[in-house]
Amino acid sequence: MRHELMLAVSVVVLLVVEIFSSAKHKTNVVLPLSIALMGLSMLVGGMYPEAGTLFGGIYRTDALRTAVKLVLDAGALLVFFQVYGWIRRPENSDKVSEFFILVFSTLIGMHYMVSAGDFMMMYLGLELASIPLSALAAFDRYKRVSAEAGIKYILSSAMSTAFLLFGLSFIYITAGTLHFDALQAAFRPDVLTILGLVFFMAGMAFKISLVPFHLWTADVYEGAPVAVTAYFSVVSKGAAVFVLTWVLYHVFGAAVEQWRIILVTLAVMTMTVGNLFALRQQNMKRFLAFSSIAQAGFILLGMLGQGALGMASVVFYLLVYVFTNIAAFSVVAAISNATGKENIDDYRGLYATNPRLTLVLMVALFSLAGIPPVAGFFGKLFLFNAAASQGYYWLIFVAVVNATISLYYYLRPVRAMFIDKNEHPIAFFKSDAYMRMGLLLCMAGIFATGFISWFFEYLFAVS
Amino acid sequence: MGIEAVVLLFVVGLFLVGSAVIFAHFFAPKSENHSKFEAYECGIPVRDGAWMQFNVGYYMYALIYLVFDVEIVFLFPWAEVMHDMGTSAFVEVVIFFAVLGLGLAYAWKKNALKWQ
Repeated sequence: MRHELMLAVSVVVLLVVEIFSSAKHKTNVVLPLSIALMGLSMLVGGMYPEAGTLFGGIYRTDALRTAVKLVLDAGALLVFFQVYGWIRRPENSDKVSEFFILVFSTLIGMHYMVSAGDFMMMYLGLELASIPLSALAAFDRYKRVSAEAGIKYILSSAMSTAFLLFGLSFIYITAGTLHFDALQAAFRPDVLTILGLVFFMAGMAFKISLVPFHLWTADVYEGAPVAVTAYFSVVSKGAAVFVLTWVLYHVFGAAVEQWRIILVTLAVMTMTVGNLFALRQQNMKRFLAFSSIAQAGFILLGMLGQGALGMASVVFYLLVYVFTNIAAFSVVAAISNATGKENIDDYRGLYATNPRLTLVLMVALFSLAGIPPVAGFFGKLFLFNAAASQGYYWLIFVAVVNATISLYYYLRPVRAMFIDKNEHPIAFFKSDAYMRMGLLLCMAGIFATGFISWFFEYLFAVS
Repeated sequence: MGIEAVVLLFVVGLFLVGSAVIFAHFFAPKSENHSKFEAYECGIPVRDGAWMQFNVGYYMYALIYLVFDVEIVFLFPWAEVMHDMGTSAFVEVVIFFAVLGLGLAYAWKKNALKWQ
């Protein structure tokens, strides 16, 4: 609980600063303050994780949930490092603190979602997270695409919530309770419960943007500011992935025969469609949007391996994904902030002018593709391992074919940067200190999670 | 007492309201005129259609009103248990009000209370 309280206190502190400060350049005050508050929250919430329940069991915490929350917090922290160049623009001057307040609010919602011991609590956390998220998507409110992203996100999340609540009402009709433990104890696989399970999974699939519920993703990711897109693709997805995994394993553990089929179908469709659409994208943000759809399909493979192995592989992949995807988005943000260019063709010849940024993007894309020395490889390996433990060899074959396809498009920007010739490449620019710090942290994360086995062992031990 | 009471309440409610409507339908004086079929706008004469531009400040006022309206809903249960819980309830409600007050101060700072 102290984790959530600390986040709430951070919101109040930022609000007080916003009300009483008359600083001319607010970014220089609010950004370091937000980074410090986020660091403090991680410290307060993450130290000495304890297990326990509150409010009659609707809130519960343990070492695994604390770890997931820390992963989400780390994602938000890394996003904070990349916003400086964007948030200090004149058109954002009247809403600097609001960005951070909204991010903290969404995090509170996701923490409650992760810590829910009851479907109602999970739903409340989901709403608490998705309402500020739509405000974040429309943050560049005078840009048409950003406003469009906001309205599309609101509509699609309303739709997914409708699915979710419809499913939950079926579950409530049959069981008479929404409490996770009680549901698990009284589970009967009758028609209404399975119908509820299907609708619940559809609602969550919207949030994780699994095919065929992915149609909002590319438009929202393209329209929203780059920092917000990074946040969407990593943090908001991560919370939903964990909750779905936990609920499937523990609440619907007895209906594994039913949800296994759904997960396999979703995984195959998501990987294939995400990859095939990513092949033909020109805009970097759309490209990363479809790549993140495909990655979600890979995560489903880990979900299929049940028990501690499945859970640990999913959470470990989320951890790797946070560092990897935010590193990629940070480079896109740096280039977009400095030049306004977001297309793959614009990146041609970038190595000659901005070698260090290029190297960061290369490592991030290698990690997304799963090329051995970096963390993404081990993430995928554990996911495949989890699926193999349940005997899904043909599914792993499909995944490997898809990983090969993805290699082609992940290497496209790399080829553009290193090999393609360009008469007028993007000129050399110096990114700000926050951005460099953030990129450094991302790189450290990618290599640390790849080379230090402690992370996976810890997650395996606590899940 | 149990389900019977609820059914009784429902039937009595249906009868009372229904009889009032039916009674009014037959016995109330009627007059047909133009302004009767206009939309009700708090007594102000209606002007223009619904598809017009209007000040977005309306929403701002509505939101701020809503915040303080909903707050009352929380205050009733609080008043109910205040005696049993004692000081801790008091401290909690003070924190609640402080956060609400911050919200109002924020709206003030952002000129949401100014009609532009």
